[in-house]
Amino acid sequence: MIGGSPWTRRALATAGILGLVFLTVPILVVIPMSFSSAKALTFPPPGFSLRWYDAFFGSPQWMDAMWTSTFVALISSVAALLLGGLAAYGLRRGSFAGRDWAEGNFMAPLIVPTIIVAIALYLGLAKIGLLGSLVGLVVAHTLLSVPLVMMVMGVAIREFDPRIEQVAWSLGASWRYTVWKVMLPNLAPSVFAAWTFAFIGSFDEVIVTSFIAGRYDTVPKKMFTELILEVNPTITAVATLLIGLTVLALAAVTVILARAGKLKQTIV
Amino acid sequence: MRSTGFSFVAPLLVLMVVAFNLPILYMLGLAFWEKGRGFTLEHYEGLVEAPVYLRVLGNTMRIPVIATLANVIIGYPLAHWMRGLQNRARLVAIALVVLPFWVSILVRTYAWIVVLGNGGLVNRALQWLGLTDAPVSFLYNELGVTIGMANVLLPFLVLPLFAAMIRIDDRLMQAAASLGASPRTIFWKIYFPLTLPALAAGTLLVFILCLGFYVTPAILGGGRVPMISNLLDTLINQIPRWEQASAISTVLLIVTLAIFAAYRRLDRKASL
Repeated sequence: MIGGSPWTRRALATAGILGLVFLTVPILVVIPMSFSSAKALTFPPPGFSLRWYDAFFGSPQWMDAMWTSTFVALISSVAALLLGGLAAYGLRRGSFAGRDWAEGNFMAPLIVPTIIVAIALYLGLAKIGLLGSLVGLVVAHTLLSVPLVMMVMGVAIREFDPRIEQVAWSLGASWRYTVWKVMLPNLAPSVFAAWTFAFIGSFDEVIVTSFIAGRYDTVPKKMFTELILEVNPTITAVATLLIGLTVLALAAVTVILARAGKLKQTIV
Repeated sequence: MRSTGFSFVAPLLVLMVVAFNLPILYMLGLAFWEKGRGFTLEHYEGLVEAPVYLRVLGNTMRIPVIATLANVIIGYPLAHWMRGLQNRARLVAIALVVLPFWVSILVRTYAWIVVLGNGGLVNRALQWLGLTDAPVSFLYNELGVTIGMANVLLPFLVLPLFAAMIRIDDRLMQAAASLGASPRTIFWKIYFPLTLPALAAGTLLVFILCLGFYVTPAILGGGRVPMISNLLDTLINQIPRWEQASAISTVLLIVTLAIFAAYRRLDRKASL
């Protein structure tokens, strides 16, 4: 490490810790608020209660939103994983005209401002009469999840030695056997990571959903509408549940990748 | 060249062309169209002439610049500090940076209402310290939007910057020290220049993401700090003027892609 005086080092540590606090404060504040007994948003909460969780689980609208979110996230993440995984394989192992363009196009939903994707899909879906349909919503979430899948699976397939496949082929394995017994067991941790990222991405998506979902409510869409209208503490309970879901999913991904020794390549 | 692997890519390609490329092309075309008259440029003329658009454009440029600068000021020392940490502490720090990255942007934005509100944590701390008598209004103005945006985007700067920093060989700095360079010289003449491409790339990435921000200005700006995305929302959902919205989207898309092209060049340099 570069030395510097103790004073410099202390200043650096202070700056670093303050940076971490700035990053995590929002998450740390919401959790205790969700257990507050007060109607208004006061911190620290005056007393403990589970009333906002009751309000959440007791509300048919929130439960509807929960089901829509789960349904859309499940279908779109599996679709993105299948299509994106196949495409990542074709891109890494194959060579054909327009390969770079195709890859750039698959990553584009990450770069193009989401509001533009939202408007384009709104106009396009309105044109073909699918605005406010579940089909439209699932397709939109799928294409938004594709870049996340491509990032994880692209690296995983590049790191997977093609000679292992070739050996399986040359020893007479059928393609089905090669896929199930040779490739998937090796790629499974990355497949799980890619699916989790796609699921979280879809479950948290708010902008495109707000534009094209019509009468369907997803959890983030309902949160967003409520935040614009009024500040209702039920949202702290929803937020805490979302944080819990994310922490669990990330912990699972970390453990599985670390066991397979693939943590570093996927994260950095 | 023999063509292989295309059949694996084809299904996704079909989906992307139908559900992504075509709608965007349709939107771009709509911006040049007027019912019954065909091709027109008037939607772009409307952009230049209306003062409200210029005000929004001003917001859309000013706030991202400030938020990006704040990100550099907070993020660079943070990444640099993380580089010097020991294994376990470093892992904890990485986890604390990665986690917010994945937590819903709504949650992270919402929390600032609690932290920055008139009776919120920050204001009570300021009053307790005697720095102010009346609560400072952080919310529903530019300051709140800027803080919220800087917070949401910080991981996008810190993670690539940290990745570039840990690739720098410690022996470079040791060599400089053994030749008698002061810590300050080592930092500014050796370390900082090596991190510069990653810093520049990260800064551009954060700036691009800022340009299209929708949720944070809507919630923390309370409608008083409209940015391009919020204007687009109004033009699509409230006063339907789809052609005007398409014209604005086209401009935003071109600006974004231009900055992204610059980012790609810098990013390639940074990973060399």
